[in-house]
Order: sequence, then structure tokens, then C-alpha cells
Amino acid sequence: MASNRLGRLVLAATAAWGMAFSAAHAGDITFWTWRQEDKVAYTELFNDFTKANPGIHVKFEAFDAPNYATILSTALAAGRGGDVLATRAYGGLEVFAKAGYLLALDKVSVPELGNLPEDALASETLRADGRVYSLSFASQTLGVFLNKAVFAKAGVAAPATWDEFLAACKALKAKGLIPIANGTATAWMDEVFASVFTNPFLGPQFVSDVLAGKTTFEDKRYTDALGKLLELRDYMPPGYTGIDYATGQQLFLTGRAAMFVGGSFEIANFRKQNPKLEMEFIAPPAPTAGAPRYVSKFYDGGYAVNAKSPHQADALKLVRYMGTKAYGDKFAALLGNISPIKGVEITDPLLASVAKLNETSMPYIMAVYFRYDSPTGSELLSTGVQKMMGGNETPVALGEAITKGIARYYKPFQK
Amino acid sequence: MNGERAKNAAIQALLVVNGVVMLYPLWVMLISAFKSNAEIFTSPFALPAGLDFTNIARIWNETSFVRYLGNSMIVTGASVAVILVFATMAAYAIARYRFRLSAAVFLFFLSGLMVPLKLAIIPLFIQLDMLGLVDNRAGLVLVYTAMGLPSAVFILTGFLHTLPGELEEAARIEGASELRIMLSVMLPLARPALVIAGIQNAVPIWNDFFFPLVLITSDNLKTLPQGLTVFMGEYNTDWGVLFAGLSLSALPIMLVYIALSRQFIAGLTQGAVK
Amino acid sequence: MSVKRRRPRRWQRGAWIALLLAPALLVMAMFVAIPLLAAFRYAFYAFNGLAATHFIGLENFRAVLLEQPFSAWTLRALEHNVIVFVALMLLQNGLAYLIAFALLKALPGHRVHQVIVFLPVVLSAVIVGFLWKLFLHPLFGLVNQALMAVGIGAHPWLGDENTALGSLIFTNAWHWMGFPALIFLAAMQRIPREVMEAARIDGATDRALLRAIIWPLVAPATTIIVTLTFIGSFNWFELPYIMAGLDGSPGGATDVLGLYFYRTAFGNTSAGLQDFGRGSALAVLMFLFLAVVSALALRVLRRREIEL
Repeated sequence: MASNRLGRLVLAATAAWGMAFSAAHAGDITFWTWRQEDKVAYTELFNDFTKANPGIHVKFEAFDAPNYATILSTALAAGRGGDVLATRAYGGLEVFAKAGYLLALDKVSVPELGNLPEDALASETLRADGRVYSLSFASQTLGVFLNKAVFAKAGVAAPATWDEFLAACKALKAKGLIPIANGTATAWMDEVFASVFTNPFLGPQFVSDVLAGKTTFEDKRYTDALGKLLELRDYMPPGYTGIDYATGQQLFLTGRAAMFVGGSFEIANFRKQNPKLEMEFIAPPAPTAGAPRYVSKFYDGGYAVNAKSPHQADALKLVRYMGTKAYGDKFAALLGNISPIKGVEITDPLLASVAKLNETSMPYIMAVYFRYDSPTGSELLSTGVQKMMGGNETPVALGEAITKGIARYYKPFQK
Repeated sequence: MNGERAKNAAIQALLVVNGVVMLYPLWVMLISAFKSNAEIFTSPFALPAGLDFTNIARIWNETSFVRYLGNSMIVTGASVAVILVFATMAAYAIARYRFRLSAAVFLFFLSGLMVPLKLAIIPLFIQLDMLGLVDNRAGLVLVYTAMGLPSAVFILTGFLHTLPGELEEAARIEGASELRIMLSVMLPLARPALVIAGIQNAVPIWNDFFFPLVLITSDNLKTLPQGLTVFMGEYNTDWGVLFAGLSLSALPIMLVYIALSRQFIAGLTQGAVK
Repeated sequence: MSVKRRRPRRWQRGAWIALLLAPALLVMAMFVAIPLLAAFRYAFYAFNGLAATHFIGLENFRAVLLEQPFSAWTLRALEHNVIVFVALMLLQNGLAYLIAFALLKALPGHRVHQVIVFLPVVLSAVIVGFLWKLFLHPLFGLVNQALMAVGIGAHPWLGDENTALGSLIFTNAWHWMGFPALIFLAAMQRIPREVMEAARIDGATDRALLRAIIWPLVAPATTIIVTLTFIGSFNWFELPYIMAGLDGSPGGATDVLGLYFYRTAFGNTSAGLQDFGRGSALAVLMFLFLAVVSALALRVLRRREIEL
């Protein structure tokens, strides 16, 4: 094909030009992420790295978050992309790792993997070969944000049990406040919302039963817990089915709503938008007094090395640095996220309180276990909760739909 | 004629109502450029608390606005120009001549409209990479041209098809070459269609951020919508800043349209002469 | 086409036509046809993550057409696309036809109106989607405030499964109406004055004029508009993506083929996975459907033009 020959010619010419380019910048590596808002923090972290590793400069390149997976998979398919890549965890990692786009990490190439807890390593492991492909950077905890000033003004105490929670909502509503800021219009937040309130009702036993194939999501424990969500509808904003994530955030930030159900990833963002806001992060209410109040926990993502990177040695150096306690300390301080690295000190009191809650945590079920195949548990649950909260589906029907969907690839659910 | 006057008044009323419905959201867009996120969400239709230029200042300080704008102008301008030239040629061939594969060629062009090119982003990227056109404005122009050709060919064929044949015949009898006939007899009549096809392509190209996001990584080559995505965070979008940026970016293309719309009216009256 | 005097030699004519077609065909082939065909191939492959592993024939097609819940999603999205097409034809293009006629009357101020009607078209879908989310907002939205002023209660337009798709269609009509209006106007202005005046003298009312004279005479414009609306409706993506998200919230009430295909092929960051196999299979099906229907429709629409 003539066009092919022409293409090769142009390719050779550009390759020559490209080599000239990279020669001029030897020791430059690039870092790709979807976190555009973290540029300042990473610039500082990378400066530290360059101080310790003179001659290696790291270029921060961030991409529009919703399109990151597309941009990254396209670049990787063409053998391009950053040298060090931020990846998602669980199923979102596997699609990339399975294709051979990422370099497998081990304790020899990255001894710092030893600084991470088991479940963090598992979140960045390809189940098929049992190897770790990414170094986990943060865990996220899901729970309830309280606006302390609003609670104090209304004379309401932070609730600990489900009944107290409903009573608090009622009291807040009587004062003309919106008790819960969240609506249901943004699908992925519905999975967060459902997980926060159902997990204390489910308990870790339910999760082990599902994983052992002893039960399904049609289990009465599960559908009853889903049913509990319906009791909250009276305390969500008027027209909550049309309230999206961004509106919910603003209702909470401006003090019109007293609580926001969300994740620890909001802390930095809430602070930036309203530095005066006094907030507290609490665990969801327990079914009965004294019962454990499980928060939901998952790992956000990690740092991986591009398998086709021409600067693998330098890239590995960077990933190793990203697994040190020094990095974790600074990461937590600058970005307001919980680094999973063992021994990391968290100075921020709010973030420290979240870390404390992690001691009584349960996995964020769908994200951690059922986001590896289609249809994912997450998509089934989130759109299902939207339907249920809109009054168009019952908890029992939802449990059945989730089970049926997952049964496509999960053997224990196949009757 | 009283009835006529009443009818005209009704038509005027329809146009005025329509005008308000069309313009009011633009007004909201404009005032939002001066608001914070909290203001946008809690009192979206009220006037901003003050004439606050923070948002515009942030765009100025945090992005290379002028450079992005320049890149957008180059990419959109070049794409539309190439689309119009190539599409006019092709449409002219399809509409004014009978040849064996005419219908097949027409359907080939039309089929380009039927699948989102996003599907082919990976093969497209690899191909552009082979040609050294990744992270290159020319690559973007070629992709946009290919994407825009189908609708432009379709619209122009539709219009050229309906042009009266007598003028063409008369010119032919006078011995004018086919090229002359096309350029000085037929195309002037197609001016409104060219404006329509041009603007119909310019708008999506000007506003697109998907292809630049995938194809352009160097900051000095980024287009305006792509550059503005920095204000869309993972968990929080700076709507005020985005409104300011997108309003500013809508301005040039609005001005182009207003300028062209005079052309358009002029072209119409010419076309009406038969 | 007409009979030609001094007919240029056959090969000359052929070369001239080829010359006219070549640049457009070349660009289309290079940057649309070849990459798309390559992507269509994915539809016949099994994927391990992002890597194609082996040929599996029609398996991906079977999954999206026959296997639950995918088949239900495919059907639901297709139904929504049909609704979108019909609604846009009536609302967006119907109004555009009337507005074009109103502009044709050249009443005082028509030039200003002609500019105004088109202004929304130049806006980015990001802005339009967000603005209309504000207007339709259940708490602060102007639409609800206006309704409450006349005694109708507030309604979560985008949150109710029964009104969400309609709200999106309305927003799309607001955004794009100027475009068909302009095409209709261009076509209407080409109608010879004498024809219109003769009809007037015969005592035709505006309604009769619109129906009996203008409507058949703008048939070529109608062909363009119907075809573009049809293809556009079935590729609808940006506005629902911005206003309802990739999942077609609430509960899939706004899910259309464009969203479904994109979500399947490229994954939904916070819920789904990338699957090029099934995503491409959906795209191939969309293509076949659109190609067959458009080819048939064009035949019918074109015949209407010839009958004049």
C-alpha cells in the first residue's frame, strides 16, 4: 500500500524528530492523572522527588476525569501515554492490567509495596495472575457529613442509631432546614448513599455469605436494608429525584441542609469552597443502640508504570518514592486524603477522625467485589436505587434485578 | 386591511415571545459568569451580588486563554475552510452531473454521519500517530474535516440539486468551461447553503473537547474548550469560571454568525432572482 | 440533468467528476471509513480487558440483542430514540417551519429576529445543558416558579421518569431550532415571488399558502431536515450526557443508544467497565439500522421532490 509506505516515511521522519526531542530532555518523565485539581500539590511532591533524585524531572499531565479512561486506553493502545499513570482500583485496574499495558510490580522492583496493607495491595492486583500492578494512593471512607453550626443552632445532637437519625431529621425539618442535602439525580452517588445506610444493617457477615455463595442480593437482610432508604425520602430536599450531586453539595455548603452523605474525598473540596464551614464526619446510624456503625471503605486508585515506557527505571524510582511514608505524610497533608501507607501521620483533625472510623469499616460492596464484569453491581444498584427512591421499584424487585444481573458472570447466583 | 394587520401583530408577538425565550437563558449565562458556585446554585436568576471579575481573572491567570483561543480559531477556521471547499466540489459533482456511481458515492458520504467517530478513536489515534499527526493541529483539522464532510456534502447536494438548470445550459452554449460554470454561475447561487453548511460545522468543531482531549497533550496546542476542562474537577466543577470561559468562547462565533447573517440575507435575495 | 451541447469528451467529463470527488473521498476514507471499519472488527472479537483476544463470530451481537439485561437496555434505548425523533420533528422542526414563515413575511425587525433565533445554536452543549438544568431545577428553577405563580405545584422535571426525556427534548429544541428555521427560510425565500403573489391574488390565506404552496415547494429543504434530524436523533449523545449522565438518569428513563453505546465501549468511570466488543456490536447495529432506514427514507423524500 502506497499510503502505508508514505506513512512509514513520515513515521521515520517524526521518530527522528522525536528522538532529538527526547534527547534534549533526558531524565524527564511524565505523570498522567485525572485529578486536574491536584496540580499544585503534585508539583510540590515532585519537587521533593527531584531533590532526592537529581536529574529526574516529573511533568504533571492531568486530563478531564470522566474521559480519562478513554484517553488513557487510546494512548496505551498506540504505545504512548505517561511513564507513570494514575489508575483506578479493582475492575477499573484490571481492564488495563489484563491487556498488558502496565508493568507488574513486586517487592524486588518496588520494596515499598511492603508499606501497604493487604487490602490495599488486593485492590490493585490482577486476580488472574495474582500480581500487583499499581501502588495504591488513597483509601476513601463513606459516611455522613454534619454541619456543626446548623446542628448547634437547631439544638439537635449528632444521631447514633437509626431511630435517633430519623428523630434528628424530623427536628431539623421542623426548623425549616433540609435535613439531608442529597438528591438521587446523579447515579453514582446513589450507590454511595445506599451503601452508607445499608452497611450497618448488613454487617460483615452478609458480605461473607455473598462471597461464599451462601446467599444472594435477594436475601431479606439486603432487601430490608434497601427498604430503610425509603424512610429517608421525607428528609431529602423537595423534588429530590431532580437534585443532582452538585446541588446537594451546594445545599450543604451554604448551610441550607444539615447533612451530606458522601465520602472522605469531599473534605478537601468542601474546605476549598467554604473555608468557614465547621463540619464533622460521622459513621452512619446503627440499627440498634450499641451495635457497630460500619462505614464503607474502598481504595481509590494507584500509581502504575507504563509497560511501554522508555524511562522505566526512572518511572519505578518515582513509584518507589510514592510508596514511602514521607510521601504519604505529605500526600495526606496536601490533598486531604487518607494515604494507605503504614504509619502515615495524619495531622488534620477531621481527616484523623475519618481514619479512626476506618477501624469499624466494611467494604464498599459493589465497587470492591462486583465491578469486574458487566453488568457491574454498581450500575445495577445505582440506577435501581434511583428507580426505587422515585417510587418506581420495590426493594424486593431491586434485590432480584441485581442478583439476576450479577448472575450473568457470578456462578453462585446462577440457579 | 384590518385582518392583515391583526395577523401581522400576532406574528410579531410570536417572534417576540420566541425572542425572549431564546435570549433570556443567554442573559442568565452572562450573569453567571460573575457569580460564585454558591450563588449560581442558590440564586441562579438573580443579578450577581456585584460586578466581580474573579472568574474572568482566574481564566486569565490559570489558563493560556489567548493561546487557546488562537488555536481554536486556527483549527476551526482551517477545518471549515477545507470542509467547504472539498464538500462543495463533491456535492457539485453529485448534484449537477449524472454518473454511474453517483448514488453510491452519496450514500458513502451520508454513512459517515451514522456512526459516532468516537467509536473509532483507537484505530484513528494509531493511524494519526503513524502519520506523525498526534499532538498536532493538522491532525485535528483532518479529523474534523472528515467528520464534517458528510453533513456538508449532504446539505450542499440538497441545495445544488434544486438550482435551475437554465443558467448552466446558457453558459455552456456560450462555451464556458465546466470550471467556469461551477465557479461563476452556480456557486454564487449557493451562498446561503454554504453559510448554513459552514456554520453547522463550525459550531460543533468550535465547541468540541473530546478529540483535542485525546489527540492534543501539549499545552501550547490546546483548544479553548479543552483548556477550560481544567475547571471541571472530579468532584467539583467551577461553574462560574466555566460560564465566564464558555461565554467568552461563544462570543467570537456569535460575531461571525451575525456578520455572515447579512451575507446570508444578501445571498437569499440573489438566489430568488430566477 | 439537461441535454448538453458541445458535450466534452467522455473521458474528460469523467476526469473532471473524479477530480471534484477525489479530495473529499480521500479524507473520508482515511479518517472515517478505515478507522471505523477497524473498530467494527472489534464487534466480532472477545476481549480480555482492553485487549482483543480471539474471533467469536456474532457472540457480542447475541449478548446485546438477546441476553438480559443488555437486551432490555438496547430495546429501551431504541424506544427512547424513536420518541426523540418524533418529538423533535414535531416540536423543533414544526416550530422552525412556523418561525421561518414568520421571518419570511419580512415584518419590521425580522433581521434581528433572524439573528436571535440562531444564537443558541452556537452555544456549547455544556452551557446549554447546565443552563436548562438550572431552569428546570426543582428548588430554584424558573420554570417551577412560573408554574407556581399560576397555581401549579413544583415538579422535578429531570428527576421524574415521566418528564425527564421530555425535558431533554425540549432543551434540544431550544438549542437547535434555529438551524432548521434557517434552512426552511432559505428554501422559502427561493420560491419565486410571482408564485406567492398569484396565490395571494387568488385569495389564499396564510394557512392555505403554507400548506398548498410553500410546503411542497420547500420539499428539498424538508428532505435535508428530516434526514439530519433522523440521524441526529439516533446519535444523540451530548445533551443527555450533560443533563442526565452516562446512565440516563433517573433509572434509565433518558437512556438513548448514544449513551448506551458510549457507556458500554468506554465504561462509566464510577460504575462500569470498558467493553469494546459489545460497544462495537451496538455501533454496528446502529449503523445498519440508520443506513437502511435513511436509504429508504431518502428514496421516498426524493420522490416527493421530483413529483413537483
